[in-house]
Amino acid sequence: MVLARVKGTVVATHKSESMEGMRFLLLEKLDPVTLAGKGDYVVGIDSVGANAGEVVFYVTGSSARMTDTTKGKPSDATVIAIVDAIEKDGELTYSKGGQQG
Amino acid sequence: MNLARVAGTVVATQRSDGVAGARWLLVEDADQRGAGKGEYLVALDMVGADRGQLVLTTQGSSCRWTSRTEDRPMDTLVVGIVDTIDEGGAVVYPRAPSGAGLKARG
Repeated sequence: MVLARVKGTVVATHKSESMEGMRFLLLEKLDPVTLAGKGDYVVGIDSVGANAGEVVFYVTGSSARMTDTTKGKPSDATVIAIVDAIEKDGELTYSKGGQQG
Repeated sequence: MNLARVAGTVVATQRSDGVAGARWLLVEDADQRGAGKGEYLVALDMVGADRGQLVLTTQGSSCRWTSRTEDRPMDTLVVGIVDTIDEGGAVVYPRAPSGAGLKARG
């Protein structure tokens, strides 16, 4: 799974019927050590209710179809978790709502 | 499978994957000597790996071929803890202490 920050939402009115009702999130991959964005963006389907600013991780490929939200949908990137904290080598690099966040 | 180093852990309570008792590891891609490459992923721990250990990761749809992850939205698993790696007849992981090779030759 890939760590990313939710930068916003993507609206696409004209879309495949199978994508009706899906919420698209604009995600920027991030470095879990510095928490800096990598400038690498992807659009993911939300299955957890993530909002802008939150750190999440998403699943790619055929596994992106395995959530209740995306079952049978043509998704190849689905946000499956909102991250509370990241610990690296014993130090907290991210804490939701904390100073590092 | 890829080689990765367990760099730390990730905590996430609000999730949609439905994997019970999940433990998330922050893993860093590593070379065959265990050196990190600076690229990180979040992986579901299947083996009880600890920070600093070199591990084997499985990615993609193959991650759903375990009883815990069947039909689950998982694409990165830690499936093994590496003990040693031999490359061309020499042990490259774990690294021998410096000077050990000279001593072995007498």
